[in-house]
Amino acid sequence: MAEMKLLLEHSNDPEYATLKGYLAKGGYTGLGKALKMERQAVIDSVKASGLRGRGGAGFPAWIKWNGIEKEITKPHYMICNADEGEPGTFKDKELMENTPFLVIEGMTIGGYATQSKVGYIYIRGEFVDACRAMRKAIDEAYANGYLGKNILGSGVDFDLYIHTGAGSYECGEESALMSSLMGERGMPRLKFPHAPLPTVAGLWDCPTIINNVETYSCVPFILDRGGEWYATLGASTKNSRGTKIFSVSGHVNKPGNYEVEFGTTLMELLDLAGGMKGGMLKACVPGGSSVPIINAADCERAIIGYEEMAEVKSMVGSGGCMFLNEHTCIVSFIWRTAQFYANESCGKCTPCREGTKWMFQILDRIVRGKGQPGDAELLVDITKQIDGRSFCGLGDAAAWPVAGAIRVFPEEFEYFIKNGRSMVDSAESRAMAPKWAQPAYS
Amino acid sequence: MSETVAIGTPRPRAPRPEELDLKFSESAVAELDALKTHYPDLKSCILPGLWIAQREYGGWLPPEAIAEVAFRLNRSFAEVEGVATFYTMYNTAHKPGRHMIEVCTCLSCHVCGAYRIVDYLEEKLGVKLGETTPDGMFTIHEVECLDACDRAPVLQIGDQYVGPVTSEMVDKILDDLRKVETPSAVQLSDAVVKVHLRDGDK
Repeated sequence: MAEMKLLLEHSNDPEYATLKGYLAKGGYTGLGKALKMERQAVIDSVKASGLRGRGGAGFPAWIKWNGIEKEITKPHYMICNADEGEPGTFKDKELMENTPFLVIEGMTIGGYATQSKVGYIYIRGEFVDACRAMRKAIDEAYANGYLGKNILGSGVDFDLYIHTGAGSYECGEESALMSSLMGERGMPRLKFPHAPLPTVAGLWDCPTIINNVETYSCVPFILDRGGEWYATLGASTKNSRGTKIFSVSGHVNKPGNYEVEFGTTLMELLDLAGGMKGGMLKACVPGGSSVPIINAADCERAIIGYEEMAEVKSMVGSGGCMFLNEHTCIVSFIWRTAQFYANESCGKCTPCREGTKWMFQILDRIVRGKGQPGDAELLVDITKQIDGRSFCGLGDAAAWPVAGAIRVFPEEFEYFIKNGRSMVDSAESRAMAPKWAQPAYS
Repeated sequence: MSETVAIGTPRPRAPRPEELDLKFSESAVAELDALKTHYPDLKSCILPGLWIAQREYGGWLPPEAIAEVAFRLNRSFAEVEGVATFYTMYNTAHKPGRHMIEVCTCLSCHVCGAYRIVDYLEEKLGVKLGETTPDGMFTIHEVECLDACDRAPVLQIGDQYVGPVTSEMVDKILDDLRKVETPSAVQLSDAVVKVHLRDGDK
């Protein structure tokens, strides 16, 4: 199976980021069709497509849309989660920069289906270029009647605002994002079943729909060509439909975004990215830093799909696919992963705030050659105490890569702890290590 | 991110209302007023308001800047300070050098040699990560994933990403930056504020 370009079909064409170019390529036919349908029929179409959230969790998009109240008692809000922060992922950035109208059209369709009159795009503060592209596209859509009052003469109103973050990974979590949009510290809130779903009480306690950039970008195609058509893509998998954009990086010849149909193998994705650079394939993190690492043998048999990936004990996640060559020291890689989560934990709940710091401290002493016997078991024990016990998914996401790496590459951890140096020592692995860690690689 | 302020670091007390010396320019006040129409409440303007303040106060948020945002949005100083110190892109701890060079060392950049770029920057500028050169020209920071892994190793300077970076490129970047007068934090904050504003707001 080769690359299957749906969202990224025209991403290299600068015209596509303008309204004229977008319309010339069939843009806004999805919205045109949606506005002639009943609201419920739009939601049913998304249901038929089998579209699942592309932000990482893979939650069916239609359930959120369908869960919103049908009789309006409070204003409804749409949020586009563009706080892309997952290490390894850069697909939303490309979508916003090159295909901004897909996002706007998808949100407008969602706004119509869920009777939301206001939408916010929460973009991480670092993505200024993506913000500018979205700003330009939104202004153009307003000027031509595709946003604002009475869209295309249908009587539907939809306003779209940009809100930027200011540097916090945690704000990619939906309830933390809403806190941040409401002008608070970006900390998560209680979730179902202890608190109502965002579709009941989200932004300013009003019914709120929140989806990822890529999820919204799929919606125009679903409305244009039909949910049933979309569901034929990826039909070879158990329950993953459509296409998925993978951001391929690491030791590959052509890093970048590649869109593939579900059911494609991981090795085909690697081929698309030009194959390995600087050595043989050793391991892969298929879906962003939060998902467990898999070894080369599992890469050979991994099939891209939400359920299929679980067979190699990993996940599709957000699609941040990092391939690592034989010179990569897994201990060092996981040490850096742990540092990321320790820095980005918001500090609200104890398992995550303390656990991520402990994991980092233990990995740090291992990388400094001061590991103690039993450190690997201690790390596994800590991951068990974080996983499932933290307030939001950040804790789980911090625990999985550490636990996964120790499960897949136990010998590397044992060797590093016992000998105070890395099992992988070569000029290449030395080049990757921080200055202070050089003794472990010489 | 990796740079943290030690617990117990004294921070000047909040200015009292009568001590407020409002510094927002007319256009900044107009921008804040436009932003207020985007949300049903004033509290949501805290984040964009802090971006405006960071630009107006020269690239960082001293207590006076936070007090001014609090005053203009009718919130308490403590609330706005709490928000400002949560987010890493607000410079609340100290005023950075004229140009902030943020080096991503997260996963993909790590395996693509970002630590060599860190070494090179540290050696060339004679300062460590998180420090400012004595002439106040450069501050170097280590940051978490900038989500430009296809360009690893990547740097962020102002609103621009640069990558993949090599040591030769670093030389040129530093030389070019010396000629730029606008502090990178001001330029970034201005760019962020501008993207919030609709055509009708401007």
